[in-house]
Amino acid sequence: MSSRKKILLKVIILGDSGVGKTSLMNQYVNKKFSASYKATIGADFLTKEVLVDDRLVTMQLWDTAGQERFQSLGVAFYRGADCCVLVYDVNNAKSFDTLDSWRDEFLIQASPMDPEGFPFVVLGNKVDVGEDKRVISTKRAMAFCQAKGGIPYFETSAKEAVNVEQAFEVIARNALAQEESQDFNPDFPETIPINIGEQNQGCSC
Amino acid sequence: MASTAGIEDASRDPPSPPSPTASFYDMSDDSEREYSTIRHSRSGKGVKLLYTKSKVYVHPTSSARDNVPGYIALMQQKPAAGDVTTPSTSPEPSARRAQRRSLLLAWVPESSLGEASSTYAKVESSTSPSPPQHSPLVPAPPVTTTHSSSLGTYAFSVPVSEVFSILVRPPNSGWWHGSVVINTRAGDSFPALFFHDSECQSTIEQRKRLQRENFSISSPEGSGGVFWGGDELIRWLKSYVHVERSAQEPSIYLIDPNDADKLSFGSGGKPTSHNVRNVLEGKHKDEPAMHKQGEDPVTKALKQARWSFLEKMAQVTTFTRRTAQAVAENKNLPPQVKRLMQSPQVQTVSDEFDSARLYLARWAMGIAEQSEKERNQRIWTAKDVLEMEETGVGEFEILDLDAQNISLADKRKPVSLQEWKGYFNASTGRLERTPDEVKERIFHGGLATDDGARKEAWLFLLGVYDWTSTKEERRAKMNSLRDEYIRLKGAWWERMVDEQGTLEEREWWKEQKMRIEKDVHRTDRHIPLFAGEDIPHPDPDSPFAEAGTNVHLEQMKDMLLTYNEYNRDLGYVQGMSDLLAPIYAIEQDDAVAFWGFVKFMERMERNFLRDQSGMRLQLLTLDQLCQLLDPKLYEHLQKLDSTNFFFFFRMLLVWFKREFSFEDILRLYETLWTDFLSANFHLFVAMAILEKHRNVIMEHLKGFDEVLKYVNELSGSIDLPSTLVRAEALFKRFQRVVEAIDRKSSFPAAPVARQRVPLPLPPPPATSPGVDGRPRQASAESGSGARRRSSSTAVAVTTGRERTVGDHVGAGVGAEKERVVTPELRALLSREVPKLDKVEVRAHGGGVGS
Repeated sequence: MSSRKKILLKVIILGDSGVGKTSLMNQYVNKKFSASYKATIGADFLTKEVLVDDRLVTMQLWDTAGQERFQSLGVAFYRGADCCVLVYDVNNAKSFDTLDSWRDEFLIQASPMDPEGFPFVVLGNKVDVGEDKRVISTKRAMAFCQAKGGIPYFETSAKEAVNVEQAFEVIARNALAQEESQDFNPDFPETIPINIGEQNQGCSC
Repeated sequence: MASTAGIEDASRDPPSPPSPTASFYDMSDDSEREYSTIRHSRSGKGVKLLYTKSKVYVHPTSSARDNVPGYIALMQQKPAAGDVTTPSTSPEPSARRAQRRSLLLAWVPESSLGEASSTYAKVESSTSPSPPQHSPLVPAPPVTTTHSSSLGTYAFSVPVSEVFSILVRPPNSGWWHGSVVINTRAGDSFPALFFHDSECQSTIEQRKRLQRENFSISSPEGSGGVFWGGDELIRWLKSYVHVERSAQEPSIYLIDPNDADKLSFGSGGKPTSHNVRNVLEGKHKDEPAMHKQGEDPVTKALKQARWSFLEKMAQVTTFTRRTAQAVAENKNLPPQVKRLMQSPQVQTVSDEFDSARLYLARWAMGIAEQSEKERNQRIWTAKDVLEMEETGVGEFEILDLDAQNISLADKRKPVSLQEWKGYFNASTGRLERTPDEVKERIFHGGLATDDGARKEAWLFLLGVYDWTSTKEERRAKMNSLRDEYIRLKGAWWERMVDEQGTLEEREWWKEQKMRIEKDVHRTDRHIPLFAGEDIPHPDPDSPFAEAGTNVHLEQMKDMLLTYNEYNRDLGYVQGMSDLLAPIYAIEQDDAVAFWGFVKFMERMERNFLRDQSGMRLQLLTLDQLCQLLDPKLYEHLQKLDSTNFFFFFRMLLVWFKREFSFEDILRLYETLWTDFLSANFHLFVAMAILEKHRNVIMEHLKGFDEVLKYVNELSGSIDLPSTLVRAEALFKRFQRVVEAIDRKSSFPAAPVARQRVPLPLPPPPATSPGVDGRPRQASAESGSGARRRSSSTAVAVTTGRERTVGDHVGAGVGAEKERVVTPELRALLSREVPKLDKVEVRAHGGGVGS
């Protein structure tokens, strides 16, 4: 098997602005939380090496701006993603309501080979804030995830490092499974056999 | 020169030019007497400490906690009488051999120094470049020629005569410390000694000295790296023995190699997988027959090849699996190296190298940046500017910056409030200079930071006040602006309270308010003005209710909500808070700052459109600019799929707000607001940043993701003054190129094939009509003194969507020279600020409209 090949897992983190995408990523990679992250402009990523079932993989976590108008230039990053993390703020109903459109948008932009089977993970962040502020119940979030084909769901706090590690472990695992199912590697031009006649619909336009 | 019995004469000592006196008894100080009392004990109590360096560590385990700090030292012991007379098997003069034998290369842990530690410190701090004449004595560390597992945390010393080679790994082969490994003639390798240069006072001093003397701290060993402790070790050795850098393996220094060594080194024998494995696992011991002169040359070569191979890996690998594979398939790799690559151990190491590489690229740039900063301490001269351009961009011509009679230094002096006031008539308050004169002064010198000059001048630069206005007119204007601000503020306030408007509108307002709330609480909080949380939050439902707020944050929110009311077609968009903060920080009056912001936004609106057409246009323009000014870099970026220039998105969106310090941003913004050379000077600033890093990008970065990461992480490390000078030079160069092309194109045109410029961006969404965020007057060439247009006049009106070039200019230039001036590029010559008209904003703003 090609299992000794270096594995890079590309993970895209999406969600409304201010739900804590940057914080989650930094908590996971750097074990740090800062209340004063600036609003993300453009895109950035962090990498982390992890062992998944004693396979060493490199996770490349992409963080993007949350305001949706900035997504139109983000297409470039979505391509070749192995997993998409949808983040909302459990204290903000709007951010939960938009999860669906984030998911749809991702599927359109990234156009994965098998949209039905593409791995998503949903994170309900900021559970540290307190029950009185909370507007989205666990039950409601779980129902959503069930309806979308059983998306794994975690309630996290980037601030208090609650469930972050666990969530990203699942993200890594699902991304790896996705990566391996793609082993014929569509984004690897060198290995594509030359049968130009077969080139189907919208590839690199 | 006395030659005492048993000690050979120094005069017989062959080449090594800066050789010190070889005779041990050349000492003439007190230490000699002291020494002579213990001379009979070869491994006894006293050896001369010639050179030493502290903070050289042994890393016995992978945990940094176990690291053992110590001194590396070159020592000289008194040779035993027997040594000299022992018949030597080698044909070399016995004198040299004896001298080498008397030299010891040692490592001593700090903890075992005891009383000698002050002696070590003294010798270390000696700055003389030539070998010491008088060296103090220190206790001799145990002499050994092999290393056993117990070694590593205990002192040891090796006679230099027993050293076959030294493997030198400078710090730039990873982010690890530089290290050396001593390989003995018996085929042993001592544990690696790591130079923690950043802790080592003598190395720090030496670097400083190098920098003072040569403006460079690069390694004398020509590795291209920075001077480090290992360089010193080689220098010490060179002053006593013959040191030869292996031609085949530059990281290996052979110590007094004989002909056989030179011959056998790296030659012969086929590697076996057994050898390879041994090398990888460090099991030299298990190897069978050792050669008399050292280990199996194949093994040795492989062992030595390993690191250099990894170094090469470090230069070529990338985050993407693609390249790792490409390396493995590289035909030039010898088969044994290919096999090495398959090993899991090498894979692990190469992974580490991988992530080290970006770090390295940045670090290398940091060093360059530092030395540039130091140069900047001096006053700018035309020569400096020229030099910078030569190294940075290559083929720059002489700038005409100094053509005017004001010297550069004067031009770059900030405009003080006093100077500013002097521009105006004392009684009417009307400007008595041309606006251009004033703008030029501010463009080059900026405004003084500490006397309130900005508070005044910014309102002119932003366009709140007319340049031609009188004091009285300005007062009247400000009064009506204040009233208008209060009116607008009241309007959204009522809107909130009364829940006016359609459901959609109310939702939009709620959302916008939340967005502003969130963004203001994370905008420039490191600035004292915005840092405090000293008043309770007025809205208990805010997510920041617990944290508290301060009056300036609340003002920021009010101003942004007022802007949201004022420009409902666009509304508040992320990034705007970044643009408002500097203006508010300077004006510290909400109404004044608000109108300054409104004026600023007139030119920045296009960055925030829902369809992002304005950003696309600027990224496209940057693409074309790079293509024109630096085709080589452009070609490289093309290979990396990076010509969408997305990695400049952040810089362009908020005008480098996230890249520079707050102080620098004030200077940068006022420079850009002058529109002195171009209303799009920010694109030249972007180009200047790109050019500065072009070499790193071309040599080290191998993928879109790496470019993005690298550029993102420039934040906080960019030197503003030199960037502005560079940007200006780039603009001048651009101007000349355009002129040259225009001149050529005014000759009768030969038909030129339509050439496609690589499409850098996906076409805008189908919903967008032919607006593209392009300013209506972008093609007009006002200001800057009628540029020659000649035959290309007609083309400038084509839309930004037109990506076919060659029909504009190119004609007459010849097809091989693809220098063309697209309308986007030509627009860069304009000093007219690009502004959208209301209809466009309404169509693409993404707000709720009015």
